[in-house]
Amino acid sequence: MAATLKPYLTAVRHSLTAAMCLQDFPSQVVERHNKPEVEICSSKELVLTPIVVSRNEREKVLIEPSINSVRVSIAVKQADEIEKILCHKFTRFMMRRAESFAILRRKPIEGYDISFLITNCHTEQMYKHKLVDFVISFMEEIDKEISEMKLAVNARARTCAEEFLKRF
Amino acid sequence: MRTTSGRTTAWTAPQSGPDETEITTLLTQGKVVEALLSALQNAPLRCKNQIVKDHALNITLRVLLSIKSTQIDQAIDTVDQNDLIDVLMKYIYRGFEIPSEGSSGHLLQWHEKAFAKGGVGCIVRVLSDTNRA
Repeated sequence: MAATLKPYLTAVRHSLTAAMCLQDFPSQVVERHNKPEVEICSSKELVLTPIVVSRNEREKVLIEPSINSVRVSIAVKQADEIEKILCHKFTRFMMRRAESFAILRRKPIEGYDISFLITNCHTEQMYKHKLVDFVISFMEEIDKEISEMKLAVNARARTCAEEFLKRF
Repeated sequence: MRTTSGRTTAWTAPQSGPDETEITTLLTQGKVVEALLSALQNAPLRCKNQIVKDHALNITLRVLLSIKSTQIDQAIDTVDQNDLIDVLMKYIYRGFEIPSEGSSGHLLQWHEKAFAKGGVGCIVRVLSDTNRA
């Protein structure tokens, strides 16, 4: 399993670098509006082919590029119930604070756990390679974080049970 | 000028898709590189029928997965000489969409080596080409 993590992240990195060629593009429908085309899909020639990079059935990344925005959705590995709950809580915690994360989307795409929406404003304000680095390190961290939390939850449960059962 | 040549191969590609019996014989004879070339040359990219495309995808994926890791370099060299690296990349990405046991790991190796040959350009052409695999 560990052998496929590095090639997986490299493949995602290369795909993201390719997909993040964004430019300013005012809305064709409403004057003086500027909307991310991947979200509103106002015309089909502005949205490019979506691509998936997968590591196995559960872990995959969906990249949907368009002319002025790219949507990156990540499905995180969830082996059992605890990991499912932890992942849900963790992503929800961050998505409620989406404003302070700048590129985080408030709702994940169906079938995925967390989504990022990167627009041309973001690529103008921030370095593109740093944005790619952020997404990659996020993917590394979230796996680590969830397995750590799982261990902590189990340890706490064990201590609690021990304390409780001491009385009997 | 890979862009123009890649486009011409797609332009002249037949609509019916790769010949399954021919590829199966090539695979059983062990001529995996020839099988891959045949599959990619006959890719029905401009076809409108999704069933034909899915059928071609299954055949190409079978060829890709039957090529061993040690043979990938040689296969990619041959594919590159025939200007088919963009078509190969399209099928690699389509293969990621239907992950099965061990296929993604193998496709990741393919992706890494195809990227080393084709660079960012060949991923951009996968994204922007309207003739989807």
